[in-house]
Order: sequence, then C-alpha cells, then structure tokens
Amino acid sequence: MAVSSRRAGGVVGSVRLLRSLQHQDGRLFSTSVARHTAGSEGQPPKFVPPSKPVIIDKAKSQASLRQFLSPEFIPPRQRTNPVKFAMERKDMIQRRKILNIPEFYVGSVLEVTMLDPHAASKTNRFVGICIQRSGKGLGATFTLRNIVDGQGVEICYELYSPRMKHIEVLKLEKRLDDNLFYLRDALPEYSTFDFDMKPVHLSPTQDVPVNQIKVRMKPRPWSKRWERPKFNVQGIRFDQCLTPEQMEHAQKWAEPWRQYDMLKEYDTSSVEEKILQEVQAELNK
Amino acid sequence: MRQWLCFFILVIFIPAVQCVRTIKTSTWWDEHLTEDNANVMRRAVAEEYKQLTVDRLNPLKDEPWPRHEWDEKSRRVGLVAVKLGMMPVWTKSGERHVVTMLQVQDCHVIKHIPKEEYNGRTAALIIGAKNSPPFYRTEESLEMFRNAGVPPKQKVTTFHVTDNAVIKPGTPLYAAHFRPGQYVDVTAKTIGKGFQGVMKRWGFSGQPASHGQTKTHRRPGSLGPGGDPAKVFKGKKMPGKMGNVFDTAFGLKVWRVNTKANILYINGSVPGHRNCLVKVRDTILPHRLEKNRNPPFPTFFADGDEELPEDLYDENMFQFGEPIPG
Repeated sequence: MAVSSRRAGGVVGSVRLLRSLQHQDGRLFSTSVARHTAGSEGQPPKFVPPSKPVIIDKAKSQASLRQFLSPEFIPPRQRTNPVKFAMERKDMIQRRKILNIPEFYVGSVLEVTMLDPHAASKTNRFVGICIQRSGKGLGATFTLRNIVDGQGVEICYELYSPRMKHIEVLKLEKRLDDNLFYLRDALPEYSTFDFDMKPVHLSPTQDVPVNQIKVRMKPRPWSKRWERPKFNVQGIRFDQCLTPEQMEHAQKWAEPWRQYDMLKEYDTSSVEEKILQEVQAELNK
Repeated sequence: MRQWLCFFILVIFIPAVQCVRTIKTSTWWDEHLTEDNANVMRRAVAEEYKQLTVDRLNPLKDEPWPRHEWDEKSRRVGLVAVKLGMMPVWTKSGERHVVTMLQVQDCHVIKHIPKEEYNGRTAALIIGAKNSPPFYRTEESLEMFRNAGVPPKQKVTTFHVTDNAVIKPGTPLYAAHFRPGQYVDVTAKTIGKGFQGVMKRWGFSGQPASHGQTKTHRRPGSLGPGGDPAKVFKGKKMPGKMGNVFDTAFGLKVWRVNTKANILYINGSVPGHRNCLVKVRDTILPHRLEKNRNPPFPTFFADGDEELPEDLYDENMFQFGEPIPG
C-alpha cells in the first residue's frame, strides 16, 4: 500500500511537471500521462508501467546473432530410420510455435511455471539453476536445483510436456562442466537462488559468458568421488578439500586410452547445421 | 603323359556321392554382367520401386471386388509394418504414455485363398510388405508377385478373414486401415538373446550371493519332486536359446495415424528390434471388441471418396498445436 501511494505520488508529481512543461513549450507529447488507469473515486490512479519498447536493430544483421540449436534436436547415432526423427522434429517445432522455449545451458538460472490442477492458483512456479539437460526428441528433460528453507530441491521438467506454461531464463550463462551434480555436495550458497530474482539481460549478439567459478565443497564423504577422472569435473576447488596425495591416488582410475576410442567419436557439426537451418525455416514461417 | 594326368585329375574331382546341392543348373543374376551393369540394374530397380510407392498407384485395372458391410462376426485383414522407434505421448490431462511408431511400407494383397482350399472354415488373404529386389529369388517365388502385379516383397504373411472381407489381390493397404481409439494385436519375432540361463529366461530367483553358497548363485536348484515320479516332467523350465521367436502383444491402443507417411502410433512396446517387420491386426480380446466397431471395411481405399486429414488423433490425446490454457 505504501509502495503504491509512493508510486502514485510520483506519477502525480510527474504529471504536474509535464503539464507545466506543456504550458511552457506546447510541443510536449504525453506518453506516460495517459498510462495510468482510472482508479475508483478517491483512490489515486494505479500506475501501469509503460511497455518496454522492442528495439530491432536493423544494422545488426541476422549473421551476428548467436545461433543456437537445442541439443534435443540432434539425433543420437543409432540404426534408426531418419523418418522417425523427422516426425518427432515436426511435433517439436509445432510445440515451440505455441510455447517459447528459450536458449539455455547447464548453469543458467531458469524460472518455470507449470499448470497444476491441484494448486489454488492452478499454476506452480519454481526457480533454480539447471544442473542437467538430457534426453533426445520429445522426451527431452532438464533438472533445476534450488535450496528452499534449507532443503535442497531438484525438479526434473519435460520440455515438451503439455503442463509447461512458461519458461524464462533469468541468467544465461555456461559453466565449466556439462552437468552440475557436484552441487549436491557443495556448500549451499552455490545452489541458492532467490525466487524473486530479477532477470539479467544479455544481448542476443554477445557470446554466452562462461562462469569460471570453482565451487567449495562440504567435507567428505561426498555422494560420488568427484575427484576421479571419469567425472572430469573442472568446477571444484580440489586444492581446498583434497591433498596432492589424494589427487594422485584418484588418478589411478584414469583411462587415458579413452581419448583414442574412435567408436566414441560422433561429429555432429554437419548434421547440426542442416537441422538448424530446417528448424529456423519452420519457426519463421 | 598329359592324357594320363587329365584322366587322373578328372577322377579325383568327381565326388563319390552325388549330392544335390553341389550341382546347380541355373546361374545367379549378375554372373554374366559386368560390375557397372549390375550396379545400373540395382539402381534402376530401387528407383522404380520408390516411384511406385510415391505414386500410390493401384495396379488393379479392372473391376474391384464388391464391398460388404461390417458386422459383429466379421474379421478383416491386418497389415505388415516396420517398427521405427518409440516416443512419448501426453493425454489432455497431462498423463504421459509411450508409443511405438510403426510405418506401413508398400503393403499389398497378394493372393486370396478361398475357404474350401484353406482350412474349410475361414478364407485367407496373403499380404506382402516392403518391396525387395527380384535378384537372388527363384522364378517360383516371383510368380506369385507377378500374378498380383506387384513388386517382390520382403515379408509375406497370411491373415484369416471372413468371406465378406475379401479384397482383390493387388490392392494396396494403407495405415488409415486402422483408426485412432482402436485396439490392435502386434506380432513379431522377439530380439534373440542367445543361450541364456534360467534367471534371465524364466525369471527364477537363483540363490544368495554369500552365506556359504558354494558355486551356486544362478542355478535352477531342484528339478522337481523326488522318488515318486522319479523323472523330470516334460516342459521343465531350463536354460536354453531365448528370443528369436514370434510373440504377440495383445490389446494395444492406436493413439494416432499419420496418413501421409503411413505411420501408426501404438501404445506401449512391441516385440522386435528397430526396423523389423511386424504383423498388426484387430484385437481378439473380448473386452476390447466394442472399441473396434465400424472400422473401414474391408479396408481403406485411397482412390475412394474419403478425404482424410494428414494426422488423425485419438480424442484424449494432446495435440502439439493446441494453445496453452489459462
């Protein structure tokens, strides 16, 4: 209530200022004046903030916008008929025309609203950091983690579920790893995000920043032995929780021949380009 | 000397016992062709079949057979399809189910066997699916396809059919033969697992891993009662070759039918590996028969009057073009 009266006072003040200016100048156009809704008699008019102008900078061409193909579009390397992937892609594009699924990576902070028939307001809102993106095609999922009232909560959402109402990226960034399961054993400050966090704007031409943060861990034992080379974790401060001898001991489980395994190579660049063009053409129709 | 040598060699190479397999009078198709010509033949045949599929031509030039009305006792033909893969599907209330996608590729009726010739009770229709090249096939096998006016097929099966559901040989069959909301049975050869032990093959629980078990963790244990029968009964579940046998999944719901690409979306899983050929027919489960009333009978004819939309959905299924409520 105090806030609204302060806002109303501000508007009334600005209205008076504008009116006085108008009298002086005569050329002033009133944009914000008309923006307050007519309140009920006696009540000050409610302030409705002006809509943000969408600036389409024609100088910056399409080429400088960063291209992003969501990883669930890339088909896995299997002996499956490509007709199956084509049918799934059609359904995914149809859904994306209705619900905007933004570009995000593991490590970005997202806000998700789902339809919930049992909730009072019929919706269900959650904010968290994305720790995993898995699944291909229509069954693609992502997991958000946050700490609510001292309790860590992870929720796995399906991107193409009909219960998804709204997905928004509050902070778009990448991390040093492609899954952040080690946050379960890290100090809680690294997984806490305010539910009313304000979105951090990133220009569509800029490269997505990589957060080089190295996380401090709770004392061992952890849920997994993150120091072992198979997890290949870059984002933990091992020097603060492990001795050099323990690090060396973990290297015993290293498998240095895996980098030469040719069967594990899957170069998706050409496939990605074709699918990206197809998806962009369909979405722009 | 040379004559002696030839005679000696001849004597060695004629086998003592004449076995049928070694003496072949016919040649294979590319024996007298150069490699280039053989490749040209292969490509020509492949292109011709692709064109036939795309054209959706009905090879029947003269009168089709009379169509009858569906009634409770009639059984109509099934289809043969290719298993593509699986994907999720959601209902309008948000429940998630999984479906298998089966694509009907070049399904044609090849032959009709009347009741008297088949088993005295029901007529049969022989269906073929998925065009395959005519090379490496005997003339006898190709004759059946030539009579129907249809390219040779990879899989040929029989469906039992009532007399009012017979279709003229050569008629193409499409995925719109089945409609969403219907229930089907799917038969296919299961994935072969090779020689498997009793725990995987029959689901026995085996023995504990520790607490003194000597060399016995996955064995069948006792084979039956003791001295009274003094034998092991026939059919005792024991280790052996598992899989690679025909198995049927009953009562699967059809969620969606794509008429353009001829794809059926069928609930749950289906036996067989990806890209295997499966036999799809109307359910015989008595409690699902009410859902299969008034199907396209005897089949869906593409050159008929019915104009179907590209996708047919079940009424409960969530379609991705629907707007977000609220």
